[in-house]
Amino acid sequence: MCAKSKRLMDAAFIRRLEGIVGAAHVLRSPGDLRNYQYDGSIDQALPEVVVLPGSASEVAQVVAACNDRGYSYVARGAGTGLSGGAVPETGGVVISTGRLHRILDIDVANRLAVVEPGVVNADISAAVKQHGLCFIPDPSSQAACTIGGNVAENSGGLHCLAYGVTTNHTLGVEIVTPEGELVWLGGRTVDMPGYDLLGLFVGSEGTLGIATKVIVKLTPIQEAARTMLAVFNSVEDASQAVSGIIAAGIIPGALEMMDRVSTQAIEEFAHAGFPTDAEAILIIEVDGLRASVDEVAADVRDVCRRNHAREVRFAQTQDERERIWKGRKSAFGAMGRLSRNFYVQDGVIPRSLLPEMLREIAAISEQNGLQICNVFHAGDGNLHPLILFDEKKPGDVEKAVVAGEAILRACIERGGSVSGEHGVGTEKRDCMAVQFSPSDLDVMARVKAAFGNRGLCNPHKIFPTSRRCGESSRRMQHLAPETAAATGPAF
Amino acid sequence: MLASTPFTIALRDVLGERFRVHPDECAQFKVDGAAPKLVLSPRSLDEAARALNIVSGERATVVLRGAGTKSRRPPPRGDVDAVLDTSELRGVLEHKPGDLTATIAGGTPLHELQFALRKHEQFFPSDAPFAATATLGGTLGANANGALRQRYGSLRDNVLGMRFVLADGAIAFSGAKVVKSVAGYDTHKAFIGSRGTLGLIGELTIKVAPLPAVQRVLIATFEDCASARAAAGTISASPLFPLALTLHDSRAAGRVPALRTSSAAVWSLVVRCGGSRSATSEQFEGAAALCKEAGAATVRDVGDDLVETVWSQIAELAGGAAYDSDSFVVAKLVAPPARLHELIAAARNAWPDAEMTAHPHVGVLFANIPAAGATSQPGALWQACAAGGWTAEFLSAPHVRGEEFIAPLPAGLAIKLQRRLKAALDPGGTLDPGGFLGGI
Repeated sequence: MCAKSKRLMDAAFIRRLEGIVGAAHVLRSPGDLRNYQYDGSIDQALPEVVVLPGSASEVAQVVAACNDRGYSYVARGAGTGLSGGAVPETGGVVISTGRLHRILDIDVANRLAVVEPGVVNADISAAVKQHGLCFIPDPSSQAACTIGGNVAENSGGLHCLAYGVTTNHTLGVEIVTPEGELVWLGGRTVDMPGYDLLGLFVGSEGTLGIATKVIVKLTPIQEAARTMLAVFNSVEDASQAVSGIIAAGIIPGALEMMDRVSTQAIEEFAHAGFPTDAEAILIIEVDGLRASVDEVAADVRDVCRRNHAREVRFAQTQDERERIWKGRKSAFGAMGRLSRNFYVQDGVIPRSLLPEMLREIAAISEQNGLQICNVFHAGDGNLHPLILFDEKKPGDVEKAVVAGEAILRACIERGGSVSGEHGVGTEKRDCMAVQFSPSDLDVMARVKAAFGNRGLCNPHKIFPTSRRCGESSRRMQHLAPETAAATGPAF
Repeated sequence: MLASTPFTIALRDVLGERFRVHPDECAQFKVDGAAPKLVLSPRSLDEAARALNIVSGERATVVLRGAGTKSRRPPPRGDVDAVLDTSELRGVLEHKPGDLTATIAGGTPLHELQFALRKHEQFFPSDAPFAATATLGGTLGANANGALRQRYGSLRDNVLGMRFVLADGAIAFSGAKVVKSVAGYDTHKAFIGSRGTLGLIGELTIKVAPLPAVQRVLIATFEDCASARAAAGTISASPLFPLALTLHDSRAAGRVPALRTSSAAVWSLVVRCGGSRSATSEQFEGAAALCKEAGAATVRDVGDDLVETVWSQIAELAGGAAYDSDSFVVAKLVAPPARLHELIAAARNAWPDAEMTAHPHVGVLFANIPAAGATSQPGALWQACAAGGWTAEFLSAPHVRGEEFIAPLPAGLAIKLQRRLKAALDPGGTLDPGGFLGGI
């Protein structure tokens, strides 16, 4: 069964959807549909209808209805995804989790929470803070993005270097399978018997079903944290400091890098107190027990100084700490002021190759005559080069395409990955055939079929089309500044 | 079938002398007490792929075998056609200390891996049982976690990428060789805990961790299990973040000289602390205070010299590794951590003579039951499991053959998807058919 091409949806199908979720929760007006045509990436496509189920059972019934009539469907949380995962490329039905936003259970004794998929990421930590607990993954969009989307994309965040990403903090999910059945993968206990279908599901970008409940692990809040800015006169020195910190056996809670152009844009936008004349800044946060955290922070400072940091500045107050993180989380939004268009990459390289890779990116920038700035998770080698261009300037779009492809290929050649945390979706699916062999992709297709996806459940995502690894011009359109308000760190 | 000449010629063509058919030789590769008819010992993934392709083409069945430390799990198998022995698929292929990653052949013994990493003051952050002999692939196939999962994550959290070989000979990779990637499905996660029924774990890229600069081990004793469990719960909920916690009844504790107690009614809670010198001291003092608050009878420091020895002995109490598999049946039971003491009480009721070791942070219990006392049906325990959402499975049960002894599958398990995944990756049912839960 293939997703039918766009056509007028029949009235009987709409009536069936209305019967399942109530007429008020079926949206069809052009204005409403436009709100669901995009995510945080650049691809757009209008759905034919949007439904907002109020329960897991309603989600299952909607999926069954779509299957009966051959309409494609895609689940959507807050629409903050950065790779097109929630864009309804083939039209069809968008299933919004907007009404599934309840925290069902907070089990303090077992350090877990059971939540619906539409719960906002930051709301989980806020709800459990009084118990001294938090939910670790903290994507920059955490004030807006939902846990269902985090599970689909296996989201990372600023504090995932030491503590892991969404897959490491998810105990179980209730899903509607592509065949419309409600099943649990994992549960309230660890080591559930059977194959680790939970591990397969997290990060499957909505192609193996729709999560309707998520059991997340909660972690005690660290007793103390020290946040510092290390200021460098060269990107090379900053990169060497990153390697030096890891080599010293220190894994900070967060280890972020910003180059000069990024810093200037962020400072103008967020007034975080970043020195705008530095070639590179590291934001480093170490956390742990009160006495030891100062010891580790001093070690980190020494490594930075040995690598020619001109200044290492500690946040003196909680307010200062929050301003630093707010500045960092507003990076993509700030870039909107710098350039008419930008194209963000999400490649990963072995972290020891950071200096070499940053030189390579500078060379790619020069070859293509486009500015590329870098603001990224240095500690785990997850780069976010932003290629700045102007779609109105002849040739710019093509140059950005070439530069983007060159960067991703350079990541793959160094044994890395095309995506560290944003997902493949539509945006990077044509790079999959570069990173993975036909045999690798065949096994993934077998897994997709085993979950019963016959082409209607978020079709055409992840898997390569016949196009090449570069990007089509559609993906080069203007990216609006991030609308989500940036907030402080999760803990 | 197995005697057919073209078949054996084809295998010998691929494997040479590393293809064994002599009964005496095959007897050294027993699985669940039964000797296979053939033993295949490929030296490369390509050889493994070609051999598996030939064997599956003949509709023979294959059991994958590392060091054979965990091969006595029910249900008992019938005849085994072939064993694929991974001992020649061995070696640390790449270690990048600066990236905290390493790529390892699946048949590499754990101790060999740890030895190689230790030269750079790093380690694979798992204290999986059977540490002296088990292979990395076998440990992952059995999802045999140690208590260090508390601080460093479970085995699956530390595997970044995997190259695997399917029964039809396809070689495929999933994940990445870098510490962070979301490209493609994490198919490799399904292999962890699959007991060799989806494919051969060929090569792995793993996360490695810096060795803690300092370690200390605290032992607290309690007069009842509930208090010991409560102390563990308080430590887990605190910001102390010790490396690991283990809980033992007096019989299990008696197997580790440093844990021996004079009283039979005593429960021992062990706290492994580690990190920088000051962090380790803070963990130790903090945990000691919490144990005393929870009513610990004694709290002591095992002593710096003994940390490594004591911990390696304690690690072997998990998964039944320290128990003679001819004399003990090993059950693994899991409950939400705050209910671990109830699970222990229910298990004690079913098996009064069992020796208990638990990982209280995650609610995992290992009950080692003298074989003589293991024949009764633990019906009440299964009912308690069903009511509490607890799970149970037998890791080793050579003496027990009754169907009724098999733990029930938890309610709500997506068994249809489980079967489909097996059918998708091993469509011919070549790899240990029936050897996985629910007869998969």
